[in-house]
Amino acid sequence: MQTKLAIVATGFVLLLVAVPVWAHHAFSAEFDVNKPLTIKGTLTKWEMINPHSWFHINVKEPDGKVTEWMIEGGSPNTLIRLGVTKYTVKIGTELTIEGYQAKEGTNKAVGRNFILADGSRLFLSLNGSVPGTPGAPPEK
Amino acid sequence: MNHRFRTSIRLLTIVFAVVLPMTAALAGQAPFSSAKASATAKKWTAKTSDGQPDLQGYWTNSTYTPLQRPNGVTKEFYNPEEVVQIEKQAAGREEAQTEPGTIADVHYDFTQFSLDRSQSAHLTQLRTSMIVDPPDGRIPPATPEGLKRQADRAAERKRMGATTDAVENMPVGTRCIVMAGSGPPMMPTGYNGNYQIVQAPGYVMILTEMIHDVRIIPLDGRPQLPPNVRQWIGSSRGRWEGDTLVVETSNFNGKNPFQNASEAMRVIERFTRLDVDTIDYRFTIEDEKTWARPWTASLPLRKTVGPIFEHACSEGNYSVRNTLAGARAEEKRAAEAAAKKGLK
Repeated sequence: MQTKLAIVATGFVLLLVAVPVWAHHAFSAEFDVNKPLTIKGTLTKWEMINPHSWFHINVKEPDGKVTEWMIEGGSPNTLIRLGVTKYTVKIGTELTIEGYQAKEGTNKAVGRNFILADGSRLFLSLNGSVPGTPGAPPEK
Repeated sequence: MNHRFRTSIRLLTIVFAVVLPMTAALAGQAPFSSAKASATAKKWTAKTSDGQPDLQGYWTNSTYTPLQRPNGVTKEFYNPEEVVQIEKQAAGREEAQTEPGTIADVHYDFTQFSLDRSQSAHLTQLRTSMIVDPPDGRIPPATPEGLKRQADRAAERKRMGATTDAVENMPVGTRCIVMAGSGPPMMPTGYNGNYQIVQAPGYVMILTEMIHDVRIIPLDGRPQLPPNVRQWIGSSRGRWEGDTLVVETSNFNGKNPFQNASEAMRVIERFTRLDVDTIDYRFTIEDEKTWARPWTASLPLRKTVGPIFEHACSEGNYSVRNTLAGARAEEKRAAEAAAKKGLK
């Protein structure tokens, strides 16, 4: 039985190598291609965990009610090496997220595009597009 | 995508690909690395306090070089102009955003998180494949036993059902058990492909960033672990042959087979410090149950900047649950739709 289980487990690795290594897990199994969304909210927390980080945002509904959403983003390790911290994108930053909602239907989504209030794409690196980092335009 | 920002990202991509490999830690390194190029660099002679050739530091194996030679390529080396073109095209593909509404688009954008290979230090080499033996740059044909094992594994996988049916069905990497970077052999992981080597009297330690595996390799000639002790990353024993560290690994548990190898696979790795920025890393795979002949690949390690940050892999916190719950929700919706159809 143990041998059989071992063989089963090995089989799935072949699946893993059949897709690009960076895919890590099948995002289309977690998020629904038929549920694209664009939401705007303010950042309350960035969980810099691996293998994928999560942005927590508060979204204001038309009736004034605030709902919490969690948006999946990239592995933080490379960013930490580049000097980015969980405070680099400041709490309260307004973000517009284009993405796809979780299949299970709760307020979770993958963010295929993170956009800042001035319309620029969030670019987490050293190019200065992150407010407060070297090279960024002066804050208003 | 907004054209302005697309342009700025493209510029950045180029800057990182060219400049990062030449930052302080990497200064003086020729932009291309091969055995030939390294022969011109200053030979590395530094030793540790106990007399081992010094391999210590932070290294990356990030590269665009594939394990096997691509179809249609027959030569062993590209020329520098070809490599520049190939990397530029690959970086362009990484940078390009996917088409909205497609399965491929259901993903965060790697470029926004600096995860494209072109955005970090990586090794640009002229080789057309990592595999150097057989000379065709391809994994040798599998033996009948190897082919049968491959078919048996595929059948068993089918019998188990979808990867979303149970957490045990998910790949070991998704479950944060082990990833390709640990090996052995140590293979590129796409991003976070970093290592730290530390030497102490009688030992070499290799820390793999993703996913924080450590190999502590004794050099005192002790025997391998008994055959009944099997481990995810095997059991490694090392020795020096001149200035080359030779590490032999066996005792794999068979649950994470490299290229469909059997549990009997043995990996012989060779680390030779060529110069301040380069370790020649080669590995030979021996597994008579899968291939009639051993095969060897070369993937130099390039010096990079540290430290290594902990990659505590926490997929179970959210994504595993989301995926399983998503599959159940879909099944429920399908069942409800079927029931509704039946009522009509």
